[in-house]
Order: sequence, then C-alpha cells, then structure tokens
Amino acid sequence: MNKFSLIGKNMRRVDTTSKATGEAIFSADLILPRMLVGKVLRSPYPHARIRNIDTSRAEKLPGVKAIVTAKDTCGDKWGVFRYTQDQQFLPTDKVRYVGEEVAAVAAIDEDTALEALELIDVEYEMLPAVFSIEESLAPNAPLIHDAYPNNINIHVKIDVGDVEKGFQESFYVREDTFSAPEDSYFQGEPYAVVAHFDHSGNLEIWMPNAGPHLKAKPLSNVLKIPLNKVRVRKIRIGGAFGGRSEISPADTICALLARKSQRPVKIVYTREENSVCTRQAHSMKVKIKTGVDKEGRVISRDITCHMDGGAYSSTGPIAVSVPFLCMEQAYRMDNVRYNGYRIFTNKPIRGMFRTHGRAFACGVDLQLDMIGEHLGINPLEMRLRNARQKGDYTPTKSYVASCGMTETIQKTGEMSKWNEKWGKLPPYHGIGIGCNSVQTGFPMGIRGGSQAFIKFNEEGGITVISGVVDNGQGNDHMLIQIAAEELGLSPNDVQLINADTEVTPSDPGSYSMCETFIGGNAVRLAAQDARKKLFKYAAAALKVDCSVLDAKDRKIFVKDNPNQNISMSKVVRMALSRGEAISGEGSYWPKVDPRREWVENPSGQLSETFSFGTVIVEVEVDPETGQVKVIEAWASQDVGYALMPVVIEGQFEGGLAMGGQGGMLTEFHIWNDGRVLNPTQLEYKVPLAIDMPKINNIIVETIDPSGPYGAKEAGMSIAMSAAQAYCGAICNAIGVYMNDFPLTPDKILKAIEEKKGR
Amino acid sequence: MEKTKRIVKLTVNKEIHEIAINVNRTLLEVLRENLSLTGTKESCGQGACGSCTVLLDGLPVRSCLLLAIEAEGRDITTIEGLSKGEQLHPVQDAFIEHHAIQCGFCSPGMILTATAFLDRNPKPTEDEIRHALSGNICRCTGYAKIIKAVKALADSRR
Amino acid sequence: MRMQPFVYLEPKTLKEALIMLDQNKEKLKIISGGTELIPLLKLRLIKPQYIMSLKKLSKLKGIREQGSKIIIGASTTLAEIAESHVMNSLFKGIVDATKAVAAPQIQNIATIAGNLLQDSRCLYYNQSEMVRGGLEPCYKLNGHLCRAVKGGKRCFSVYQGDLAPILIAFNAKVKLEKKDGTKTVSVSELFSGNGKQPINIQEDELLTKIILPLPKKNTGSSYQKLRMRGSIDYPLASAASVFHSDKNGNIVDGCVVIGAAGPSPKIVPMASFGNKKELDNSFIDNVAQNAYKIAETVNNQALPGSYRRKVITVLVKRAINSSLRDMRGGN
Repeated sequence: MNKFSLIGKNMRRVDTTSKATGEAIFSADLILPRMLVGKVLRSPYPHARIRNIDTSRAEKLPGVKAIVTAKDTCGDKWGVFRYTQDQQFLPTDKVRYVGEEVAAVAAIDEDTALEALELIDVEYEMLPAVFSIEESLAPNAPLIHDAYPNNINIHVKIDVGDVEKGFQESFYVREDTFSAPEDSYFQGEPYAVVAHFDHSGNLEIWMPNAGPHLKAKPLSNVLKIPLNKVRVRKIRIGGAFGGRSEISPADTICALLARKSQRPVKIVYTREENSVCTRQAHSMKVKIKTGVDKEGRVISRDITCHMDGGAYSSTGPIAVSVPFLCMEQAYRMDNVRYNGYRIFTNKPIRGMFRTHGRAFACGVDLQLDMIGEHLGINPLEMRLRNARQKGDYTPTKSYVASCGMTETIQKTGEMSKWNEKWGKLPPYHGIGIGCNSVQTGFPMGIRGGSQAFIKFNEEGGITVISGVVDNGQGNDHMLIQIAAEELGLSPNDVQLINADTEVTPSDPGSYSMCETFIGGNAVRLAAQDARKKLFKYAAAALKVDCSVLDAKDRKIFVKDNPNQNISMSKVVRMALSRGEAISGEGSYWPKVDPRREWVENPSGQLSETFSFGTVIVEVEVDPETGQVKVIEAWASQDVGYALMPVVIEGQFEGGLAMGGQGGMLTEFHIWNDGRVLNPTQLEYKVPLAIDMPKINNIIVETIDPSGPYGAKEAGMSIAMSAAQAYCGAICNAIGVYMNDFPLTPDKILKAIEEKKGR
Repeated sequence: MEKTKRIVKLTVNKEIHEIAINVNRTLLEVLRENLSLTGTKESCGQGACGSCTVLLDGLPVRSCLLLAIEAEGRDITTIEGLSKGEQLHPVQDAFIEHHAIQCGFCSPGMILTATAFLDRNPKPTEDEIRHALSGNICRCTGYAKIIKAVKALADSRR
Repeated sequence: MRMQPFVYLEPKTLKEALIMLDQNKEKLKIISGGTELIPLLKLRLIKPQYIMSLKKLSKLKGIREQGSKIIIGASTTLAEIAESHVMNSLFKGIVDATKAVAAPQIQNIATIAGNLLQDSRCLYYNQSEMVRGGLEPCYKLNGHLCRAVKGGKRCFSVYQGDLAPILIAFNAKVKLEKKDGTKTVSVSELFSGNGKQPINIQEDELLTKIILPLPKKNTGSSYQKLRMRGSIDYPLASAASVFHSDKNGNIVDGCVVIGAAGPSPKIVPMASFGNKKELDNSFIDNVAQNAYKIAETVNNQALPGSYRRKVITVLVKRAINSSLRDMRGGN
C-alpha cells in the first residue's frame, strides 16, 4: 500500500481547468498594447545565392514599422554545439532550403505586413540543389556548407568489442536494410513568438519551448545582450515532442523587429510554416547486420545509418546517436559497431523526434523476428533472451541501475495472451511485439542540472520556483505534487513559478526526458531542505527530537502521537519572530560522465537511469485493399514509479497514437523536390479518434534508486516500441517482412500480391 | 458602393457585438482578434483539424472556414460561453476529471463538439462517440481519455 | 492564412442573385457552405473580386416531394440530408455518401450544391504560395505543364466529390438558372472531363435544385470510399451503385459510377442482366475490370495512382454486392 498522501495518487491537474475554459494563454493568444504583426519573407528556392535584398519599397508602405534583414544581425553563425555552428538566422550568403528566412516585417496589421513582404525585392542566383542522401553524397554534388565536405554533417562512430570475431562465432548472421521517409511533429499549437523590449534594453519573449533556459543563452549571444536581460517567460505550450528545444530564427527575428520598432511584435506561424520552417524528423536508411548464437542471443551487430538532416546541423550529433543508444540500452550485445551519418540536403531542417528513427527501431526489432523465425523461436521469446537487465553496462558503458524490461515483456505477453495467439491467428490476422528504452537526459555540461527554491508565506503556504517547463504532459502539477507531499501540504497551498528565465534557476529542459528525474528531484530536495528547517522549530516547540516528526495536513506532528502537533503556519511565524524566514533550496545534478561527448567520446555514463517499454499489438489486414485495422494494443513501460498513474497512461496512449498508429501506418512527408506537398493535417495523416484501437496500459515500477520516489520517465519508450509492435504485427499478419516504412496500404497490398504470385 | 469593409452584427455567447471588419475575415479571426475570445484556436487554417470549432445554432462548425459576415444572424457559442460564471459545464468538468486534457490546444474544440453531440445523443455507444469526435485532431492524448470522459458523463446521466 | 480583399454581395431574392451573376460573371464566386471556397481563397488559388452569398435565399433550402420526384434545394446542408427521413428511407447510398464527406463539422455547414460543384484537386495544385512559389504555373493555373505527370499534356487533377457518383447512379438532375432562363441537366452532364475546368457551369448560372426521381420499389444502393483515415479525408477512390429488381426479384436496372479516378466521375460500362436474380462473380468481376480500364489515376494524391486504380476494382465489387443486399433487404 502506498504510504504517500499525494504521490502515486490520481487527482485533478492544476493546469487543466484553464485549458477547459479557454482561459489558458498560448503564445498566439497574447495581446500586448500597441502590438505589431510580424511576418517572415521566405526563400522560394531550395539553394540560391542572395545577391541583393532591397527593402526600400516596403519601407514606404504606410503602417510598416520595422523591417529586418541580415544587415540587422551581427552575421554570427549559431549551432547547438560549438562544432556545428552553421546557421545565421537571416542568411547573408545564401539560402539552403525552400522556406528559409530571408527578411521580416513588423506592421500595424496582418494585411499590411503581407503586402510589405511582396514589396521586398530579393535577387537570387539559383544554385544546383540536392534532395536526397544519394544525391548529396554523389561525387561533384553541390556543397551546401563549405565547411562540410561531401555534405557529411556528422559521423558518429562507435566500436565496442570485436564485431568481426563475433560474426565468425555466430550461429546465424543476417543483414537487412530498412528505410523510412521523414515524419513530422504536428504539435497542436503552431509556432508563435511574442517579443517586447523595454527602454532599459530588457527583452521579454514568449514562445512554445522545451526549455526556456536553452533559448535564453543563444538569444543573448545572437542579439549581443547580457543574459540577464533576456527573459523567456512562462506560457502555455501546445506540445513539443522534441521539436522545440533550440532557438528558432523566428525568436531572433521577432526580437530584432521588437527592438527596431520599440513596440511588442507577434509572429504567428501558419501550420505550413510550423511543418516546414521549424523542424521535421529525419528520414533514414539503416543497414543492420546481426549475428546470434543458437539460442537467438545477439553476439554481434554492425549498423550503418544514413540520415537526411536537411539544410542545417540543428541537434545533429544527438539525433544521429539516440536511435542507436536507445537500442543498445534495450538489448544486450557485447560486440557492436555503429556508423551514423547525418547528411545535408536542401530540405527543411531535421531535429529529434519522439519516435526517434522509426526505420532504425523497427529494423532492429523486425530483424529479431526474422532471426527468430529462422531459429524457430517466437518474437516474444527473442526479446526475453536479449533484454537488458539491471546491473548491466551498455556497450558504451552506461550502468543500468534499474530495469524492468523483462517484466514489461512478460506482462504484455500475459495480458495479450501472446502464447495463445502467436502462430495461431487466422490468415491476415497478426500479432507483434516491440521493445525499446529511453535515457533520462544526457550530459549537458553546465546546463545539466536543475535547481529549485521554495518560499513560504506567513500562513504556511508556499511558492515553488523551478526552471522545469510543461509542454502539456503535466510537469507543472508534478512539481506541486512533490513539494506538497514533502511538506505535508495540499496542492491548494502550493503556487508555482516556473520556466521563466528571469526568475527561475537553470534547468536542462523537457526534451531529453529528464524533467521528472532531474527537475522533480531538485524540487524534492528543496522541499526536504525546508522541511528540515521547519522541523527544527517544531521540535523545539514540541520539545521532542526532529527524528520523531512527520508532516501532513498542514501540521507537523509526532509520528507515534499525532495529537502532539503544531500547525505549519505557527512554525513559520515562530521562525519569522526569531528573525529567520524559512525557505528551501535544492539542486540535482545527474551522475553522468562529463567527458562523454556525442562524436568525440561516445562512451561513459550517458544518463543516470533509463526507462524500458514493450508494446504488443494485434491487427487485421484487409487482403483486398491492404488497409489495417488495429484490434487492440497492450503498452507497458518501466517508469520507475508512477507519480500519477493516470498521467502516465495518457503518455502511453498518446505515444502509441503517434509512434504506432501514425508512425507506422500513415505518417510521412510527400515531396516535390525540396517542397513539402503535405504540410497540413489534411494530407499529412495524423491519426483520428475513429482510427484508434483499445489500449491496455500496464505500468511497471522498479523503484529507481535515484529517481524522485523511484520515478524515471514516461514520455517516449512507448512511442518507439509501439512503432515496432505495429510493424511486427502487420508483417506477421501478411507473412511478409517489410523494409520500408510506414506500412501504407499500397505497400501492404503489393507485398500480399507478390507473395501470392510466388 | 463597392465595399470591402462592413459593419457586422454577431451574436456570440448570447451577447451582441457590432464590429467594423474587412469582409474577408473569417469568424475565427474576428473572434480572436476583435473580440479577444482567444479560447478558439487555429491549428491548421484549412478546416482539417477542428481546433477552431465553435457552435453555430448549436451545431459544431469550423470557424476558420466561415466568413464572419456569413455568421450574422446565427447564435455563436465559443468555449468561453460554456461555463456559467464559476460553474463549469459538465463536459468541461468531465474532461478535467478524466484527464482528457494534456497540452489543451485541441480541448476547446473537442469540448464544444462533445457538448453538442451529447445534447443530441445523450446515450451514445463508444463507437458513436469516436465517430462524432473524428473531426477533432488531438496529438497528445491518443483520444483514449477523451472518449472515456464523454462516455463516463453520458453513463452518469442515465 | 489571409484571403485577399473582395466585395461581399448579399442578394435578397433569387432574381437579384441572377442579375448579380449576369453583371459580374467570372469576377464573382458564389459562397454556399464555404468549406470548398474558403480554403481556395486562403491558398490564393482563386482571387475573385466579388463573393456572392446565398444565405438570404431561403427558397434554396429544404427537401420536399413533388409528384414522382424528390427536390433538394441547393443550399441544403449535408447534415440535413443525412438526417432527412425521406432520404434515409429511399436513398441509402446518398445518405452514406453525405456521412462520408470529410468530418461532422464540415457536414453541418457544407451544402449539396457546393459539394457537387467542387473543383478538382491535386497535391501539386492545392498549395499555398509558399509551396507553389518559385515554380512555373501548371495547366490548372493557366500554365503550360503538369507537375504531377512529367511531360503530361493535360491536367490530371482529380474530382473528389463524394456525392456526384451516387447522384449519377440515381439518375439525378440539376436545375441551372440564369437571368434569362433555366435548364435542367443530368448530374453527369455537369462534368466536362477536363481537369483544368472540370465543371460545366457557366459563370452566370446558379444551381438551384437537385432533382431525384423517386426510386422504384426494390431499389438498393451503396457508396464505397477509400481513404487513409476514418474521417476528414477526401476519397482516394470511390464507387457508387444503384440496382433495382422487379417484384419477382429479377434485376432489371443498375448503374455503377466510380469517383476520384479522373477529372470527373465515370459511369462504368455494364453488360445487360438478362433475367437474373443474382449477379455471379464473373459478372461482377467484369464490371470491376471495366472500371479499372476507365479509371485514370496518377501520383497526385497521398497514395500512388496504381494502388488507387487497383482498389477501385475492389470498391466496385463491394458497392455492387452491398447494393444487391440492400435491394433484397426490401426498400
């Protein structure tokens, strides 16, 4: 039985009422006095030199208050890493993809701003462009960035053990290639920025983000203003899914327009701009060679992956590494080699996506199914034999402190009645399994830790101050829940100030799955710090030792004699009357290897702990049309500890929809060379309510030794393993292994027909 | 005289507003920009996602595909018009209770569609609920708890 | 996305509307439900000077019986058709088709005339200037090439209306009125077969009514639609059919129409029935093969043309079988 008052229990979230009434303010909803409308002029060409930009006609248009081009910037190149600095937010030399920012306007209304854009004359000199990995790597291909020969942006190389020897010792070896085009975030909220400079040079800026502190420093660098003058404010955010972690050209442009016009400026992206001009996910081709022993245990693996990164580096080193790292966490293997390449093309910029590399993940798992078939071992058994275990080290030397992978496999297997179904389902009816693992954060140098403060008012109510950001997953509530639990308060007694870089201390941000583990721990430590101070006064007042005290219902009491108690407010006032204002401070820095670097040194503790997930899915395929009906899904993840089970279920269900239903059945971008032909939800098929199956959620708790209350993360393992399970189930249903994803009905029908024809 | 600007009379949440607008403005734009009713959202601008849903004479429609002037003389209900003072509408309450809201961007449209649906079909099956909400896209929840919230509310009323 | 400015016309009577049409012709576009027009205006694919609203023309609304016909006013919404008692009891296929259009919110405001008269579509055409910019215009944009088909000599845009195929199968007609007269044409005559301008309606004509002959007893109908998701999407391929038998159960009459397989819906050639009570598999396969032959599908939708063409045969078979079951179920 759970010994906590709030932790582990379901309750209403603090943020959802205002979302239900429409009061919640997102960036595009902000209205500031005298605010101007900003619009961006974008390149119509995939690769072209900018010869000249003439804004004189636009400047004369009544109602135009500011225009910015590269001339208004310092021309520096920005990059997530020091070795990937390749992007000017308003380019001086050339444009590298259709949709790239070239100039921007702030005007009194949208019609004027749009008219002004048409009056800006840009002289382009077209350059040859490349739109695929093959074209980019071909000899004599046009160079997109002078600093990157052959258009190779990143090469991650990992080599552990003796891969060739491992293959020689293997009982069975096979090599397969898998591929998938890009998928895309399609967050509910299209990107929007509001920026405002005051006359002291302080910038206030709002935008959807996955870490305000990650936005503030680059903004300070690019705008050449001190960091303390950049205030990224808290705002409601309509989803991130990995696509909103870095500074965006829109942020810089909006700030520049606001500075130039000395008025607030709002830029609201259309859905198209969100799909094309923020980030997309990578398309990729993966070659996987795996050798196993007679029992199907992997001895050796050699993986080569080429990813289409688009026109700029973005988080290239991370995006190239994560698909591999997730897999090396999920499965045991002694000998493994990985060559991951990120290639530039004249296409929109790619970033990290919640379903990291579906071709990679599905390829690894599907190959296990293929190997299993050859050896007469069923897919679930193959997963069990290769599953990561607690106490293991991953090939790149991360220690796994807690691991429920086996439990997630067993429980989904049991609940789905795998053994009764596998190999026994009627024709065109299939079942499949997928397993994956996700890290809780990664080494981020001086930004890898989170700090939190707690202040008290004289009634004993508190305010928690933390850098943690909420993208909709429920982080705001989590912080309040933790602080209230530790201090014996109710959520009603707790206010939260978070994700505001002027007020809140640094935090690594939400995109690396670390807000619960790192941010939650920091708040817990801050609360415990305050608690210790409170107990000191309470102990004196009750004439007992601190060690016999506990806190609950706004009272501090003796554990064995609850009638001996003192109210929180009394303790606080006692302290104040003695000249001490009680507060709490805590910070958490994950124990990771600071020398680990994505490219230079991909070895050492990557994150302090990992989550593990398994999904099993049952499907029925219409053999005449290739369409898939998903009958039921079972999703299980080792989350460490469920701080609020219903919130975690929400993550499972959403992840399954994104990674499985969409990621494996319908989601892909269609291209006309460098132009996206399906930038809106009409032709990019995000799943609908009527498409979804029944989802069974199985939360597994391994009580991580370091996570707050044992909690790890819950946002990503299911998204990835769902894609894998959908893939395996469809291949099982039609009796054909597929290599190109997503498995749209045309590909399925073709496979069915080819099989019949044989 | 040929005018591209008109004075339009809109009845929104039982209040009458007279607004001077360019006739090429959609109802969504006018609600958000002229009336500061920012609860209704734009997520695609093309009528594909349902975030812009408002009720027109009680029926859910895409406000991004409606010229504001075409909505004259009709009763428009936005999300702000659902609750009565501090009292939440039962559908709003059910969404909050059953965790049918994550990032909240699709929620106003989803809640209005669900409200109109339950008003016409108070005893729906789960399939009917899924079908009624099939025009509202949610990227966060996978729809499971949204369906659960609507079903639970309908069942509680039996 | 912002539309360009236009002048808004609000005729109070049908006569006034026809005069406005006559005066402005190609500079004017009609707004009915708006769900087809507004996206085209936002994408700036069309830039009319005038938009004429039908909202004050109450005569264009409503479904009523008139002798041996059912008359549906042009401004009747799809939701109203789906809920109509008379439509549900006599025209199952039409009700199925209206319920398959887009999503419920669209059906609440889209009208039958608007749906019927929608322009043809193509992934390369239905885009904003951000995607189309910097490229030479295609045929549908009054240019000289097709982007969907390299070297294509004509426009391959697809007519994707859900209602037209089933209305054709039910032998529906439409009334077209203009200032100086009216005419009645069959729904199939509304389509030119030309992707650049798929609809045969003049700039000064207004579609005011859809006229459906009352189906004879023992009529069955069906509409089958291919799309990737269960809602929102346009058809990637479709098939509609109507069959009717005499009182002895002999199949007397039938019509199969395919949609989303070219710039217009197409009636599928079908051999005569003889005196059959059943249509055997080889007969149905034959119709499906005829459909395959006349289907025109290229790669300008979310799924490949070759796939859509194959599935048309499946949809045709399913439509026929479903219509026959409906026919025997007793109407």
